[in-house]
Amino acid sequence: MSDSAVALENVSLVFGGDDPRTERVVALDNVSLRVPAGQFVAVVGPSGCGKTTILNMLAGLIRPTLGSVSRNGSEIQGPSRDVGYMLARSALSPWRTARQNVELGLEIRGERKADRRLRATELLAQLRLEGFADAYPSMLSQGMQQRVAIARTLAIDPDLWLLDEPFGALDAQTRLTVQSEFISLWETNPGRTVIFVTHDLEEAVLLADRVVVLTARPGKIKLDAPVPLPRPRVLDELKFDPVFTEIEHRIWKELRDELI
Amino acid sequence: MSSSDPAPPADTGQGATLDTVPESATLWRWRIRQLDLPVQLIRAAVVVGLYFLWSSRALFKGVPITVFGFEPLPEVKDIFYAVPSEVWDYFTAYYHDLLFWKDLWVTVQEAFWGFALGSTAGLLVGLTLGYFRRLQKIFGPFLVFSNAVPKIALAPILILWYGIDMGSKIALATVIVFFLVQMPTTAAVGLVDPDLNILATTMGATQVQRFRKVIIPGIMPAVFGALRLAAIYSMLAVVFGEFLASKRGLGQRLLYSVNQFNMGSAFALMIVLALIALALNGLIGLVERRVLKWQSNREGGQVVSL
Repeated sequence: MSDSAVALENVSLVFGGDDPRTERVVALDNVSLRVPAGQFVAVVGPSGCGKTTILNMLAGLIRPTLGSVSRNGSEIQGPSRDVGYMLARSALSPWRTARQNVELGLEIRGERKADRRLRATELLAQLRLEGFADAYPSMLSQGMQQRVAIARTLAIDPDLWLLDEPFGALDAQTRLTVQSEFISLWETNPGRTVIFVTHDLEEAVLLADRVVVLTARPGKIKLDAPVPLPRPRVLDELKFDPVFTEIEHRIWKELRDELI
Repeated sequence: MSSSDPAPPADTGQGATLDTVPESATLWRWRIRQLDLPVQLIRAAVVVGLYFLWSSRALFKGVPITVFGFEPLPEVKDIFYAVPSEVWDYFTAYYHDLLFWKDLWVTVQEAFWGFALGSTAGLLVGLTLGYFRRLQKIFGPFLVFSNAVPKIALAPILILWYGIDMGSKIALATVIVFFLVQMPTTAAVGLVDPDLNILATTMGATQVQRFRKVIIPGIMPAVFGALRLAAIYSMLAVVFGEFLASKRGLGQRLLYSVNQFNMGSAFALMIVLALIALALNGLIGLVERRVLKWQSNREGGQVVSL
């Protein structure tokens, strides 16, 4: 148990209850999930099934009503400076340039200016944004903004990456490009654990080592399936690989009732 | 500005390639385009037109219309207004008048200190109440009540308290500016993108860091809007205070001129007062342009952009 990078043990979460006029909402019902270090887990499910809630608990923003949520064997008490959380919206500060946005987490940690700059420049280059370091978010396209948000999440070199539908707002072409850049960043950084929330099964199977399917509210684990595809993955080829299609189809048959 | 720039015409000629597209415009061409000559010409025409309309005295002859027994454009007696040449005479006279410059300096100081004190206090209280919701809950209703008091009504009382020198005018301007800045600042804190707050929290930001990196920059657009308004209202408060009771100041001089039916002087002083307010506004604009650099690619709501 203690060798799990992330562990949810019999976690239930209930929203509401303070206000007797509103109904209580059971967001998660007895969910257990153990993720070994270095694994890429995709959490799939219909909207409102508590996917984001799981991330919020792992980020230390909320605590479970019942059960325990732990990281590296110890209970999560609050936000930690070595967890990278990427929200569904890019949430870039409009008054910071791309580079300054990437530096935000490093600033909060109190790192030296020269080091921050170096790290941000390096990450922006890896995401093919070197020409846009001094541009403000309003001047960048959606795909670029999302790449800046990825760079910002990874700038602090977290060992746990939490991503909440990071590519949901992108068009199909841009999405594939950004997914490819993202997966190669992860593949070149071994040992990083990823919890990736998405409602897109294809994306989940393309990227992850393991796909966890949640039911509609209250969220329960419906299916926990490995994705035995080799790495490094070349996404635009893999999409047409019969093995990939077969895995996706198998999982799809299992969760059709939940997603529809 | 850039959105109104016309796109270069498409070259549909035979053998057109990217090489035939002309180089980007030179700097001086770009500057001229930025000036937007038609706009400047129409502005100049409006100024000239108003000048002649005013000089011709046509405006003051009155138009015989009655709206519910009220004449919106009455005839004004010759001694109750001035034409541009008279106003100009006073400008030149005042330019050489040391006492005029003393009055101007008094009014500028009053307006500046009223603005500075009021907006500093407004910002501090506005931020505190916006950030600590509990405090806002406790003190909010009291502030709403105080704000509902017509602040001009305080002027006679403030003159009793602070005397007829600069103090009472600064106090009145401070009170007016305070509410103009405090209310929007408190509201703006609550409107800062909640995602940015969540994000900073997940990154382990302390309260102070969140304040400095999210809240303060997030409220700046609203704060500058409020400051621009406050600068104008600071002038208004000071002039009104001088009307009531004062030893020196342009407001006092203006009232005196009107009482003497010295309309050339009164009109000249009004224009000077407007110029001071614009100068204050321009100073704020300079700071705003630096602080809100990230907004400069959008249409800025700038009052002074010549």
